[in-house]
Amino acid sequence: MAVTEADRHAIRESLRRLLADRCQEADVRRAIASDAGWDKDLWARLIELGLPGVAVAEAFGGLGGGEIEIELAMEELGAALAPTPFFSSAVLAASLLQHAADQDAQRAYLPAIASGEIIATVALTGDAGTFDEGDVAVSAKRAGGDWTLDGVASFVTYGCEADILFVLARTPDGIGAFVVTTPSALERAPLKSIDPTQRLARVTFNKATATRLAGADRDTIERALDAARIALAGEQAGAARRIFDITVDYIKTRVQFGRAIGSFQAIKHMAADLMIEVESAASAARHAAAVLSNDGPDARAAVNLAAFACADAFSKVAFDAIQMHGGIAFTTAHPAHLYLRRARFDAAFLGAPNLYRERFISALENNA
Amino acid sequence: MSNEELRQDVRAWLAENWTDDAQRPGFNRAAWLRKVHDARWLAPRWPAEHGGRALADEQARIVESEFKAAGAPGGNADRVNIPANTLLEFGQEPLKQRLLAGMLTGEIQFCLLYSEPNAGSDLASVRTRADRDGDSYIVNGQKVWTSGARTADYGLLIARTNWDAPKHKGLSFFFCPMKQPGIDIRPLHQITGESHFNEVFIDNAVVPADHLIGKEGEGWRVLQTALAYERVLMGEGAAERRKGVEGESRADLIALARAYGKLSDPVIRQEIANAIAYRRLNELNALRAKTEMAADKSSASPIMSLSKLAMSRVLHNNARVMTLIIGAEAMLDGAEHPAAAETNYRALYAYINSIGGGTDQIQRNIIGERVLGLPREAEPDRDIPFRDSLAVKGAQPK
Repeated sequence: MAVTEADRHAIRESLRRLLADRCQEADVRRAIASDAGWDKDLWARLIELGLPGVAVAEAFGGLGGGEIEIELAMEELGAALAPTPFFSSAVLAASLLQHAADQDAQRAYLPAIASGEIIATVALTGDAGTFDEGDVAVSAKRAGGDWTLDGVASFVTYGCEADILFVLARTPDGIGAFVVTTPSALERAPLKSIDPTQRLARVTFNKATATRLAGADRDTIERALDAARIALAGEQAGAARRIFDITVDYIKTRVQFGRAIGSFQAIKHMAADLMIEVESAASAARHAAAVLSNDGPDARAAVNLAAFACADAFSKVAFDAIQMHGGIAFTTAHPAHLYLRRARFDAAFLGAPNLYRERFISALENNA
Repeated sequence: MSNEELRQDVRAWLAENWTDDAQRPGFNRAAWLRKVHDARWLAPRWPAEHGGRALADEQARIVESEFKAAGAPGGNADRVNIPANTLLEFGQEPLKQRLLAGMLTGEIQFCLLYSEPNAGSDLASVRTRADRDGDSYIVNGQKVWTSGARTADYGLLIARTNWDAPKHKGLSFFFCPMKQPGIDIRPLHQITGESHFNEVFIDNAVVPADHLIGKEGEGWRVLQTALAYERVLMGEGAAERRKGVEGESRADLIALARAYGKLSDPVIRQEIANAIAYRRLNELNALRAKTEMAADKSSASPIMSLSKLAMSRVLHNNARVMTLIIGAEAMLDGAEHPAAAETNYRALYAYINSIGGGTDQIQRNIIGERVLGLPREAEPDRDIPFRDSLAVKGAQPK
C-alpha cells in the first residue's frame, strides 16, 4: 500500500507537534549534556509514532514509505536539531538492508529497526573520511561460512551506541557490506564532534566475525546511500529554514540607532539573499526525493545537486545568521552556534560538497 | 453556455474562417485580427459594448486554447494587451470608443513613458510635468528606457500634475500622442552594442484632456494596475521570452569547456557545476511554487518573488564561467571571434535582468519588506509636498 499525501501530512504534523513539545532548545541542551549525550526519551516518543519504520516495508512492520517520507521527516528533525539515532538506524541501516536483497538479513533486522527495539548504523569510511570507495579501510576474509574483518572505520554515526553494526569492507570481489551482531565486542572509541548533537565513533576491527549481506554490491550500496544523501539534504534544508526564521524574527525586534536592524538594507539584503538559499535547498531536497523514489532518469544528477546545494545553503545561512545577530550569537547562550556546528558537520558527513559537484557534472556529461 | 458548447462554437468559427498561416510572409495580421474582433473572439473577457463576450476566465482560456491549437492569432488580447486593459478599466468613454478596437488588433501601437533620468528605482519621484491649459495638458520633461518609441502612436505617460501634494499623490496618467512636434526621440546606445531603448524629450507636447486615464492625481494607482497586468504576464514567463533572458539560447557550458579543452580542469568543473546548479535551483523553485499554488488554489507564492533576483545570479555567474573557460580570448570581440563575442555579450547583457524591471537591490527590499515582513525603508519625502523634496531641490553637499 502506497503512502498517500494525507499520510504524509499526518506524519509531518504529528512530528511537528512532538518536536514543538519535546525538542525545544532547552531539551536539546539537556540531552547533549546528559551522560548518554543524546535524547533517549525523545527517541522513545519517535518510536511511539512509528518513525523508525517510516521507510521500512509494511511486511517488516514499517510504514512503507520511501525517500519522500524520509526527507520530510528529516526536515523536521533537522529544524529541531533532534539528537537521536533516526538517521543512523532508520535511514542509513534500514536503507542498506532494503536495497541489498538479502531476505534473511531483512527478516532478522528490519522489524527490530522499524520497532526501535534496536539501533543500527553503517560504517562507511576510514580515517580519511572521504566517504568514497577509496577510503574503505576494512578488509574482509572468508572464514568458513562467515567472514573476519580487519581494519578501521571512522566517522561512524552512533557507532558506540549501535546494537548492530553494518560495515563496508574490501573483499576479493570488490566492496561488500557486512553485519556485526555484537559490536560491543569491537574496539569502539567515541570521537568528539564539533556538533554536540551528533555522535561519532572510530571502530577498530581485529579478526571480528561478521556475516556478509547477500546482494550488497557496489550499485545497491550506492542506491542505499542515495537515500541517506537525500535524508541529509532534507535535514540541512529544514535546519537552514529554522535558523533563518529565528534570524528574521530577531532582526525585526532588535533595535539600534532607533530602528529595528532589519530596516537597514545591510541586514535586509542579507535576509533576502538567504531566503533564496533556504527555498532552493528545500526545492532541491524535495525534488531529489521525488525523483529517486520513482527511480527517475535524472535521479543521479538530482541527488548530487541536492547534496552540494543543501550543504552550501545551510552553511551560508548558519554562518550569516550569527553575523546578522551580532555579539549575542557569539555566545553559547544563543542557539545559533548549534546550527553552525550542525552545518559544518553535515557539510563533511557523507562527503564534501566538492565531491558532489564533481559527481553532478559527471552525471550531466554522461546524459549529454 | 457550457464549456463544451463554447469550445464547439470556437472550433466551428475557426474551421470556417481560419485558412491562413500566421508564419507566412505577408500574412495580414491586422486584417485577420479585425475579423476576429468583429466575431467577438479577440477579447472574450471584455463586456459586449467593447467587443467582448463577458466570459469568465475559465471560459476565456478555452477560447484562447482553441485559437492556439489552430495556430490562429487572437483570443487573448484581453489578457496580454496592457494598454488596452488600462484604458478599459480607467479611461473615458469617448476615448474607449475611439481607440480600443484598434489597440486590440495592434493597429494602434504603444510605448511606455515611465522612467526618467532622475526617477529610476524611485518611480514616484518623476518630474515630467503636465499642466492643464483649456482642453489640453501641456507636457514637458524627459523620459527614458522607452522601447518602440518610433513606431508608437501613443505613450503610456506618468506625469506630475500637482507639485504641492506628496510624491505619490500628485501624479496623473495619460495616453500621450507620440506623432507630434513636441516629442523628440533619440536612441540610447546600450553597452551591448544594441539600441532597443530610447530617450524621449518632451517639449510642450499637447495631450487632449480626454486622454487622461483615471482621475487627475490618481496616476499612481493607474500605474500600479498597469504594472500588475505586466507582472501577471512576467509570471507566465513573457518577460524572459521577450527579453531573451531565459530559454532562448542557454549557454552550454559543458560543450564550451569541451571545445576549449578545459573540461578536465577540476576548478572549471566545479565552477560549471555551480553555474548549472544556480539555474536548476531557480527552475526547481518555480516548479515547487506552481505545485504549491495549485494545491492551495492561490495566485501568488512567496517563492515566485525570488526568481528574478535569483536569475541575476544565474546570468552574471554564467557569463563569468564562460569567461574563465575561454581565457585570453575574452579580450577579443567581433565576428571573427564568435565565442568571445558571445561571452562578452552575455557578461554585459546580464544587467538587463539585474537592473531592468527593478534592480537587484530594489528586489531585495521588496523580498525583505513584502515577503519577510521587515520594516520599510525610510522614505523622507513620502509625506511632504513634492516641491519640498530633495528630488526637486537637489541634494546639497555638506
